Amino acid sequence: MDLPKTLHDFLLVFLGSGLILGSLGVVLLTNPIFSAFSLGLTLVCISLLYILSNSHFVAASQLLIYVGAINVLIIFGVMFMNGSEYYQDFRLWTVGDGMTLMVCTSIFISLITTIPDTSWYGIIWTTRSNQIIEQDLISTSQQIGIHLSTDFFLPFELISIILLAALIGAIVVARQ
Amino acid sequence: MMLEHVLVLSAYLFSIGIYGLITSRNMVRALMCLELILNAVNMNLVTFSDFFDNRQLKGNIFSIFVIAIAAAEAAIGLAIVSSISRNRKSIRINQSNLLNK
Repeated sequence: MDLPKTLHDFLLVFLGSGLILGSLGVVLLTNPIFSAFSLGLTLVCISLLYILSNSHFVAASQLLIYVGAINVLIIFGVMFMNGSEYYQDFRLWTVGDGMTLMVCTSIFISLITTIPDTSWYGIIWTTRSNQIIEQDLISTSQQIGIHLSTDFFLPFELISIILLAALIGAIVVARQ
Repeated sequence: MMLEHVLVLSAYLFSIGIYGLITSRNMVRALMCLELILNAVNMNLVTFSDFFDNRQLKGNIFSIFVIAIAAAEAAIGLAIVSSISRNRKSIRINQSNLLNK
């Protein structure tokens, strides 16, 4: 988006802190309803980050599908399942929890030390030879539509078949 | 500098998702952490598509496919968890060990 730089940075810091707190809430809160709502906050923050990254179609589809369908489905699932272990789950800190924390921290630290060391702009200069510089007046949604109906037509049809099979299977499994 | 900040955010989301997926005793919380992992991957794809592929947007299209697959997988996962909870009357992960015997 064409915002002034300080506003862009402020929004990035704001959404990033919302993302950090939301994801911590998903993992650490004991009540599963609270963690489901915290997942909703995380998904909304990610959608606003997509708007900042000039990808409006993906932001709208994330808001519709993830927040509007998947998160609602998860909240219904939490409300209908027999969660009688709400207050018996006092987060007894086992050895496995500590080992997983160390492994996940090491994954995070290795990613953080790798990201500033790679020269991203050097990679893009070597692969820029096969990009077509025309098509300057097409908006992003039109470009996505063009790609979905010409280049990615087969995955598009296969996705619709996958969704059909998944929904029929989910209804058959969850039926009484 | 802005690219690396968003990549660090998505790396953090990915590691928090892996931690929550492994150490959660509730099956629905594990599915929620799986959605966190998929969203971290989507954030990477959209950020790279914004910075490097501004004309052809192939990363955006891949992330749309990932969103659709995640929707299908969440539906099936919750159907399986609901049928397990109906049969076993609890949703703790360490009680689904029927294949152990």
